Amino acid sequence: MEPRGHETIDHTADMGIRGWGATPAEAFEEAAAAMLGLVAERSALGTSSSVRIQRRARDLTGLLLEFLNALIAEADVRALVFAEVAVDALSERSFGWEIEATAKGVSMAEARAALLIEVKAATCCGASVRRENGERWIARCVVDL
Amino acid sequence: MARIELIRVHEYLWEIPKTGAMNVPGRIYADRESIESLLGERAGKEWDALLQVRNVACLPGIERASLAMADIHPGYGFPIGGVGAFDPETGVVAIAGVGFDINCGVRTMIVDVRREEIERRKVELADALFRRIPAGIGSTGSLTLATREIDELLVRGARYALDRGYGLPGDLEYVEEGGCVDGADPSCVSALAKDRQMKQVGTLGSGNHYLEVQCVDAVYDAEAAAAFGIAEGSIAVSIHTGSRALGHQIGTDYQSVLRRASEKYRISVPEEDLAAAPIASPEGKRYIAAVKAGINCAFANRQALSGLIRNVFRDVLAVPLAGMRTLYEVGHNNLKLERHAVGGVERELLVHRKGATRAFAAGRPEIPERYRGVGQPVLVGGTMGTCSFILVGTERGMEETFGSSIHGAGRRKSRKQALRDYRGDGVIAELDRGGIVVRAHSRAGLAEEAPGAYKDVERVVAVMEGAGVSRRVARLRPLVCVKG
Repeated sequence: MEPRGHETIDHTADMGIRGWGATPAEAFEEAAAAMLGLVAERSALGTSSSVRIQRRARDLTGLLLEFLNALIAEADVRALVFAEVAVDALSERSFGWEIEATAKGVSMAEARAALLIEVKAATCCGASVRRENGERWIARCVVDL
Repeated sequence: MARIELIRVHEYLWEIPKTGAMNVPGRIYADRESIESLLGERAGKEWDALLQVRNVACLPGIERASLAMADIHPGYGFPIGGVGAFDPETGVVAIAGVGFDINCGVRTMIVDVRREEIERRKVELADALFRRIPAGIGSTGSLTLATREIDELLVRGARYALDRGYGLPGDLEYVEEGGCVDGADPSCVSALAKDRQMKQVGTLGSGNHYLEVQCVDAVYDAEAAAAFGIAEGSIAVSIHTGSRALGHQIGTDYQSVLRRASEKYRISVPEEDLAAAPIASPEGKRYIAAVKAGINCAFANRQALSGLIRNVFRDVLAVPLAGMRTLYEVGHNNLKLERHAVGGVERELLVHRKGATRAFAAGRPEIPERYRGVGQPVLVGGTMGTCSFILVGTERGMEETFGSSIHGAGRRKSRKQALRDYRGDGVIAELDRGGIVVRAHSRAGLAEEAPGAYKDVERVVAVMEGAGVSRRVARLRPLVCVKG
């Protein structure tokens, strides 16, 4: 298996997503890539618009859900479709965890031909962020379609 | 894989006996083939509908049973087709029992036009509906609202859209709850949720949401059909959509609130998917008030769409606006305080329906007067290539399922499997051969929603009728389908 990557997992009504990498930040980036790949053909999108995202949560799993749901909401409010996300910082704080990331994409109008499916939300179903065998980090959940 | 014991109660009902942490048994409406299929699906799958039925049975304050209708398939936390009723004092409210598409539901309107006229003009009609009804990812509606107006919509529901010129006053009598629930509190809905909804009122959405022109091709219950004003050959239009981005964001916002509440109130949830808060807690009350706002948002959305659709029928087929009568509108992702008899005592219960339709029996005051003698219409969306059904609620349903029934056929194949098995263009061609005109904003979405991805709706309906929980009134065949 590649040191970092992502995949979707079969779920009858919705879709499971899983991202993995050497650090939680990589796993979060990959989980986001899996989700964004459901929304549109990412390779067909440009990156002319960017949005900064900052979210906090008490635990890493909560942070994953906050992060993925922030991507959904920001894209919706700004009428954007994201092609890629880079995690700028993911760190433990006194209150729990915090993430700062930059999402890049194009306007909904430009993305129209590449659109696939609407993702409604990242749910706490099957959600977890954990380190496997002391090695790679895995971030996963089910997204509501 | 956790072992699940199943007992056959009768041909169409199976029980997971109350054991361990379960507070009530689980009951699943299914025939033997469906049950074997559900058991077979457990192996090698991460999400399991039978286990979800059992998990819901472990929630505090649940009454009678954790129920699943015949369209059961895995959801998140609750199964799709799941029903759970909770005591308001000791029970909990769970996001998974409502879902993120709050008050997603169906409105069916009857059109005063002959089938021959539709057949003659259906391509033109399909093109006009596709062009003029906002649908698909990122679509925006003609009704753009400011924050103050959104707040008003969340309190007034369908009436708000009506006052803005969408639909006809006579519609509301035939909408569940008259198109507006009391207790919606816009202050419990985030600014982000409102921002996301400002341009989405009057949009169909995507995924399994649709707009269909249908023809009644079979009538099974002449008395109920007469009460509903339908006969063989009647033309119907059905809209399947919900509360759009506002509902999604309410679910998202309260997911973290209820996760924390589960810990704070030490609610023993078998899976984190079932994050829940006591109904009587501040968190539970705020979530319920937000859900009610979401319910009203969905009512307003379908009301706005009904107005837009009437305009298309007027312009294309010269059907007067009053020539489209709302037969009924009912949600299937809901949370409602209802009165039900439990153990011979009538009580108020908070009923969660996740992919399940309210299906009240004759005589209930919630049913429009015109239908009260026969029961509430239950609108069951099938697939775009097969058929949909209008059922009616029964007394047995009141006794067994808190007056609930199926909402659709239920998925048989996962979305990934459907994408492997079908192509959007192939689906269009196949339906075209069957005389069904399809227009879709997404080819991938069309493949996911291919008729073969769903169970046989005729069998699913037969299970509910065989169990006596609801009864067939009429079958609807699709003629035109617009997908988001």
